[in-house]
Amino acid sequence: MEEGTKAIPHQIGGIHNDALRFGFHGVRSDILEAHPLQSAVLTVEKTQQDMKRKILSNTYGSALPLKMDLDRQILSRFQRPPGPISSSMLGLEAFTGTLDDIGFEDYLNDPRDSETLRVPDMHHGMEVRLGLSKGPVGPSFF
Amino acid sequence: MTNGAFEVPAKGGFSFDNCKRNEMLLNKGLKAPGFLKTGTTIVGLVYQDGVILGADTRATEGPIVADKNCEKIHYMAPNIYCCGAGTAADTEAVTDMVSSQLKLHRYHTGRESRVITALTLLKSHLFRYQGHVSAALVLGGVDVSGPHLHTIYPHGSTDTLPFATMGSGSLAAMSVFESKYREGLTRDEGVKIVCEAIASGIFNDLGSGSNVDVCVITKGNVEYLRNHVQPNPRTYTSAKGYTFSKPTEVLSTKVTALAQRAVVTERGDAMEEE
Repeated sequence: MEEGTKAIPHQIGGIHNDALRFGFHGVRSDILEAHPLQSAVLTVEKTQQDMKRKILSNTYGSALPLKMDLDRQILSRFQRPPGPISSSMLGLEAFTGTLDDIGFEDYLNDPRDSETLRVPDMHHGMEVRLGLSKGPVGPSFF
Repeated sequence: MTNGAFEVPAKGGFSFDNCKRNEMLLNKGLKAPGFLKTGTTIVGLVYQDGVILGADTRATEGPIVADKNCEKIHYMAPNIYCCGAGTAADTEAVTDMVSSQLKLHRYHTGRESRVITALTLLKSHLFRYQGHVSAALVLGGVDVSGPHLHTIYPHGSTDTLPFATMGSGSLAAMSVFESKYREGLTRDEGVKIVCEAIASGIFNDLGSGSNVDVCVITKGNVEYLRNHVQPNPRTYTSAKGYTFSKPTEVLSTKVTALAQRAVVTERGDAMEEE
């Protein structure tokens, strides 16, 4: 129980602060989005998720979305160790319904096919995942 | 919330990597390539038994005719087809993707796809990309609730109409529809009006040309009439035919047999799984 409470809050995405490991970031260029479409595409999924949660809580009461969040968290934890082969997230996709859907994100510009993707370090990745070390797991650039 | 959930592997999608670089180059005085005008005539109408879609077959790259006989009527589902105007790659990518989504949906539900499902998938996708996916579509099909015809604009707005036209030749085609369309057309009358509308696009709009493709969709049946009318046939071919220089000759051929396949037989107990 004690161990669990000591987790270091790790960064997911966003601005990377570890300058020694991930290099400096230009202040303005990293905060501003490159294209007006980018923020719309990035936020639309979150907006839809929030809307769905609201609809569910209005229809079935607030307990159901809470329980679904728990399921989502459990399924998102079910992953391969960080490394060259990324997890397929089959359980999570079945749960969220993205398994029955196909979009641009599934076949265009797949990060696994990227020429400049650097394979994340497994040991550091596991430390981040267990909350022992600060994220992000790996820089996505050279 | 996020404390409990792990970061899931990143997914693909549009890449914005070069946007900042391009913006910087523009600010430094680089002249960006201009937009290429797209041209097409696509139409659709509802007749007594179903829906008829029509399209010309010219693909342009600005002032250049890139393809004289391309296909603009795309398959969506066995009972739904879709004409595409705008950027050819975008219309094809979007219709292919939604076609896959409909197939997955059919696997999930085990029922025939409905036109309204295709419409919703297309418009929500196009709206999400705010007009940057430049696909103007005429969607037609016959489902459990009868024949349906819709037009979809690149920004995601839609219309539901008994007859519809799209593309740069839409005005020429619409003039034919507005003067000749009536309710309860027979199949032959409908195909004739569609051909006439496309032909007016072909002859009055520089972005449209070549042949007329027609697709007749009825309950449980689809008739795809590729190059139904060819008003611009090739007038000249060399009487002597064409000769080509000799291809590269094969000097010698040697086939090396594959290595003998080794068969491994297990002895004793199979290793226990752990």
